[in-house]
Amino acid sequence: MERKIKVLLAKLGLDVHNRGVITVAKELRDAGMEVVYIGNALPEQIVAAASQEDPDLVGVSSLGGAHLSLGQMLIDQARAAGLAPETVFMIGGVFSPADAQKLKDLGFAGVFPPGSGRDEIVGFVRQAVAASPASV
Amino acid sequence: MASTKPTTKEILARAAGEPGAPLYNPQALAQIKAGFETWRESSVRPADREAWAQAPATVLGSEIPRNMLYTPLDVADLDYARQLGNSGQAPFTRGVHANMYRGRRFTRRQLAGYGGPEDTNQRIKFLLDHGATGISIIFDLPTIQMYDSDDAIAAGQVGMSGVAIDSVEDMDRLFAEIPLDQVTVSLVTHYPSNSALLFPMFLALAEKRGIPWAALKGSIQNDVTLEEVVRSGPEYIPPRDCFRIQCDNMEFIRRNVPQWNFQTLNGYNLREFGTSAVTEMAVALANLVESLEELIGRGLTADDLGQRAAFFWSIGNDFFEEVARIRAVRRLYGRIMTQRFGVANPRAAWMRCHVQTSGVSLTRSEPLNNVVRAGFHALAAVLGGAQSLHVDSFDEAYSVPTEEAALLSLRTQQIIETETGVCEVVDPLGGSFYLEALTNELESRILDELAEIEQKGGYVAAVESGWLQTRIRDYFHRERERMEKGEIRVVGENAYLSEVKPPEISVFEYPEGVEERMKARLGELRLRRDNAAVEAALKGLEDACRGGANLLPASVQCARVLCSEGEMFKVFKRAFGLWRPPALW
Repeated sequence: MERKIKVLLAKLGLDVHNRGVITVAKELRDAGMEVVYIGNALPEQIVAAASQEDPDLVGVSSLGGAHLSLGQMLIDQARAAGLAPETVFMIGGVFSPADAQKLKDLGFAGVFPPGSGRDEIVGFVRQAVAASPASV
Repeated sequence: MASTKPTTKEILARAAGEPGAPLYNPQALAQIKAGFETWRESSVRPADREAWAQAPATVLGSEIPRNMLYTPLDVADLDYARQLGNSGQAPFTRGVHANMYRGRRFTRRQLAGYGGPEDTNQRIKFLLDHGATGISIIFDLPTIQMYDSDDAIAAGQVGMSGVAIDSVEDMDRLFAEIPLDQVTVSLVTHYPSNSALLFPMFLALAEKRGIPWAALKGSIQNDVTLEEVVRSGPEYIPPRDCFRIQCDNMEFIRRNVPQWNFQTLNGYNLREFGTSAVTEMAVALANLVESLEELIGRGLTADDLGQRAAFFWSIGNDFFEEVARIRAVRRLYGRIMTQRFGVANPRAAWMRCHVQTSGVSLTRSEPLNNVVRAGFHALAAVLGGAQSLHVDSFDEAYSVPTEEAALLSLRTQQIIETETGVCEVVDPLGGSFYLEALTNELESRILDELAEIEQKGGYVAAVESGWLQTRIRDYFHRERERMEKGEIRVVGENAYLSEVKPPEISVFEYPEGVEERMKARLGELRLRRDNAAVEAALKGLEDACRGGANLLPASVQCARVLCSEGEMFKVFKRAFGLWRPPALW
């Protein structure tokens, strides 16, 4: 039997918009994954939760403009805390195409702007987790 | 918790009185009916007959079925004087003023807010220089969530998606060279809590500039729905305390700042979070009814309060539904104020509203399409008789609007106002069989949902129990399903997809160094100010929170002696404790 994928989701920082992340949480759960949604959290809190929960993937949501600053902190702190290197990161929210590229460069394997569909997101999570070293 | 109190619907039904004077005579209706049935059998295709009533599948729609054709039969009971009246006459369906836009055009009020107060000051001046007639300030993430720029929780977010304000001195910089007694100012303080912290800074600034509070004109939002239901945030105070702060704001402002709208019931953000056109308005009215009851208990009158209540609606894609529902809620508000609260002053029965075009209805793909969408939304708002308007910019699925995009939004308003001629005739769609039938249907559905909330124990109970949150979640999950299935079609997103990649648009970039500047400034302020006065004012605020009296005099005092927003919010958290909203997924 296939192992259940575990996903940790958070709203990045103080961003107020949560319809998107709630939608993604439900869609991943409906797709058979285990989802932990911790609500609004700072990068260090997300890293602490990830250390405890040991998810395959960490997904964060940011529609308030702070994706680069907090995104960078999240990746840096995850590395500094020695979070399992095979953990996949994804981010959804409102960003310019240039920022979307910067987020990829920072280490977010999945970057989902407005209009991203369910199959796209679920498909990415399955594929990214399957391709990460821990699952091999 | 079920309530045994009569619902607004029951109260209005009882107040309906004797039958009035129907517009259409029975003989004409009988003839129309006979003719209609013959036509339906002979001229309408069977397929159209079977699919006679169809609900438009639109983003944020209410799924009200529409007939293929509307006739007088759909509004057979139409009573002109009772249901419509002339403009400026009860029940105000056709508009709150007799001359509507001939007397005063809708206020062209575009949102502004990014970076530090100086940055936003530049954008405000730019908009005013280009013919905006009002301003609307949106605050950054830490300010809206009530943390200081130098709080660890604010790191990386200062000046994002709004302007950073920590103290009355920032408020001063925000409004530098802007005459506060001449421009109407909307402070988009979504929540009761931050309204009680930021508006006092505005009042303290007016004092500092020697402007009497009585000369100030504008509005705050101050809506529990936004703080407790629509917001995602790390810390929430309990709904009952939030409601008390909302009412404290209303009471204090009504008594002390007479031309200020003490509350703008914000359907907009609720709708945009994901709910129907009907729920948006029912929830706003439910909050209003409960607030009025509370404030009447504090010795204010509905006549006095009604004059300063204001609403904020989201106007989206379903064009006629949007026009109809502004009319519907105007009539319903008029009926509630006169028949339930017994107001005598007509002003207290005027549903005055600001409209923002729907942001959720815009797309990231082919962003220029959004110019067209927002144009239709804005036109619907104007045909519905809105007092004030903000048009969303085409690039908002990318970032805060660029100056170019913000100007195009303002130009959209000006083109409607200046070039289309729609402002010359009041309520131009009034009397349309379709529009009147739809107005009736929407009013009745809003009233039904209001009754549902009241039967559950009222507005605050509906928030505390999570009932409202669940209803919203169910709506937006279902809408997402319908989008995924292609039932709701959006051009460029899941319909009429193009292989051609549209040209890239320029995207707004935040100014650099805002966070450092705000932090340094706040650090310097903390050293310079009279910290004994600060401590005393914060202690006064805490006593006011824990006591039963209105807390605004204490928060105004805090603002005067240069307390920061975050320092004041800490007092709220200490005094009220924290609440955990229901999980929504």
